[in-house]
Amino acid sequence: MPRWGMAIDLGRCIGCRSCAVVCKIHNSLPPGTWWQRVETIGAKVHHTPVGRYPDFSEVYLPVPCQHCDNAPCVKVCPVGATWQREDGLVLIDFERCIGCRYCMTACPYGVRQFNWQNSDKNFKEAFKKLGFSQNWFADSSYRPGYPYEHRTKDGRLVFTPKRPRGVVEKCTFCVQYVDQGLPPACVRGCPGNARIFGDLNDPNSLISQVIKRRDVIRMREDLNTSPKVYYLLPEYKSYRGKIIYEKILKAFERMAVNL
Amino acid sequence: MPGKFSKVYKILGLIMLIGLIAFIYQLYKGLIVTHMRNSFSWGLYIATWAFFVGTAAGGLVVSSSIYLFKVEALKPVARLATITAFVFAIAAMTILLPDVGRPDRLYNIFIHPNFKSLLPWDFLVLSSYSLVSIIYAYILMKPEIYKFGVSIPLLGLKGKRNITDEEYKKLKEESFRKAKKLAPLALPLAILIHTVTAWVLATQAARPWWYGGLLAPTFIATAISTGPAIVILFSLWVLGVNERLLPAYRVLAKISALSSIILLFMYYNEFFVRFWWHHGEDYEALKLLFTKYLHLHVIEVFFILLSAYLFFRYSDVPKKLVQGGIALIIGVFAHRFLLLPSAYNIIPFRVPVIERYGSEEWSYPIAHGEVIGDLLKPGKVFVDYWNYYPSIIEILITAGVMAAVVFVILKLSEILPVEEKA
Ligand code: SF4
Ligand code: SF4
Repeated sequence: MPRWGMAIDLGRCIGCRSCAVVCKIHNSLPPGTWWQRVETIGAKVHHTPVGRYPDFSEVYLPVPCQHCDNAPCVKVCPVGATWQREDGLVLIDFERCIGCRYCMTACPYGVRQFNWQNSDKNFKEAFKKLGFSQNWFADSSYRPGYPYEHRTKDGRLVFTPKRPRGVVEKCTFCVQYVDQGLPPACVRGCPGNARIFGDLNDPNSLISQVIKRRDVIRMREDLNTSPKVYYLLPEYKSYRGKIIYEKILKAFERMAVNL
Repeated sequence: MPGKFSKVYKILGLIMLIGLIAFIYQLYKGLIVTHMRNSFSWGLYIATWAFFVGTAAGGLVVSSSIYLFKVEALKPVARLATITAFVFAIAAMTILLPDVGRPDRLYNIFIHPNFKSLLPWDFLVLSSYSLVSIIYAYILMKPEIYKFGVSIPLLGLKGKRNITDEEYKKLKEESFRKAKKLAPLALPLAILIHTVTAWVLATQAARPWWYGGLLAPTFIATAISTGPAIVILFSLWVLGVNERLLPAYRVLAKISALSSIILLFMYYNEFFVRFWWHHGEDYEALKLLFTKYLHLHVIEVFFILLSAYLFFRYSDVPKKLVQGGIALIIGVFAHRFLLLPSAYNIIPFRVPVIERYGSEEWSYPIAHGEVIGDLLKPGKVFVDYWNYYPSIIEILITAGVMAAVVFVILKLSEILPVEEKA
């Protein structure tokens, strides 16, 4: 039995949010709902450098569900609608969830999203708000993304393009693709190839090798949630192309104003 | 014949009706009509749930302390106290209905309970508690029910049997014996409902505002101050004042006031510890209370203190007791509401940003879940702060449930023999 995990190389992530968009389309996310987020660490606005002159940094942090091994969301779910499958994926049964949102309170990573309204209505209203003419979404049978329902072997509904109202959803590591032997959409769609998806149980898989050899961290390790998403730390970039930062910094230092 | 409360019933009925319509509207539209969103996922309903659980306590604490601690003075209010306990415990479960996204699937709690989660346990203790309180109430009132019967609207007089004075006296003794037996079961249950409710929140390490061992004791303190106050208010309303009741009110008021002080002590004790360290999530949560929510905090402390003062100082003056009770309800409700903002607006996913000149924690924004704004004025998609206030629908539904609580308590106390008869 594999144990699926993901590693994200922060040195390679260019903050383009392709993963977030690819995810949104493939998983037919209703407007306003995001299973992936990419933000610049420390910045109020994405893609703005953080720090004081001349010590700027700009590191992007993509965040899917961490598929925690010790997942608080699994523990709190009163009806077992959120559970961890044997292969390590933390999934939500769309047909069992009662929408109590206890899991949203429990998850430290803020990845859980609720279906506050009817998804069809949400699509229509959102398209209108975004400036498209009202009838743009009149054909309500059309949904972007993976067109079929997906059930686990024991018959639990873990993906459907037609979202029921009043239930919680979140990143599934694209269970509908993983079950067909494909990596998640965000992994395939990352232009910087910053993401590695694979079997943590297999010591020879790329992900296991990378985790072993490079410096990795997990988010909020202090809470002991044991995430299965690993982050490879960005390396210090002393040059990019022909620009050698060290030299420029030295030059600036002489006329440094203390900020 | 128009009863004592017929006008009150009309007003309450109207509020209930509006609440029901609001609930149907919410069922139709979805929880989008509330002002909760992904980053602030529990709101007024959950605050009210905690409030109701607190008010439910008083009833059984009162009635069982008569038999366990021999506080005979409380006997005249025992029946009414058990009725309030029953109704508030049911109300606590009811207010969760509008909070869940799929009330139609609630049966899953019975067929797939996950006992690692504390919510099924909370259901379990709350329902056992309401069951025990109604049994308790029945035991206390059985002699009168047998002797005089109860007149149920539409059904007429029921339950009356022809019994002699001799048998009546025997029934009374039996009722006392049974109540005494049930008391050791009722008191721990009363403590449990607060503890388990507090644990629902206090176990969440992601929410430093709740996490830890102090929440359950403060819940119990809140319960022991609001419970008796609620009993005083209803008892004054239904039974009024007489020489037998006054000592009961006096004892209740003192218990409530003492418990309020203990509550504030525990609250501020926690604050001091957080304040002293001056950094980190715990402190941030506290800071939020004293900055953005200072007004509510002032309300909670002021009114709780006011009620403690009135209850201590004027425990013999019915008018002051009413004022004290109402002040306490306001204060404690604010206290319950303040469970939420500091829990949700301190986003648990934080990343330290370490620089040469210092470091700070940065909160990772959350998609709130609704598309807001338009092309000219685009709204935010990801937020690290959600200024929650209850929407009008939330307020109407909550008010409806509250009105129902008062309605049912008044009605029951009219029908049932809440006054002991010779
Ligand atoms: S990141 Fe959140 S939702 Fe995902 S497994 Fe962990 S606790 Fe659950
Ligand atoms: S909202 Fe659904 S998945 Fe989350 S805890 Fe409640 S029942 Fe479980």
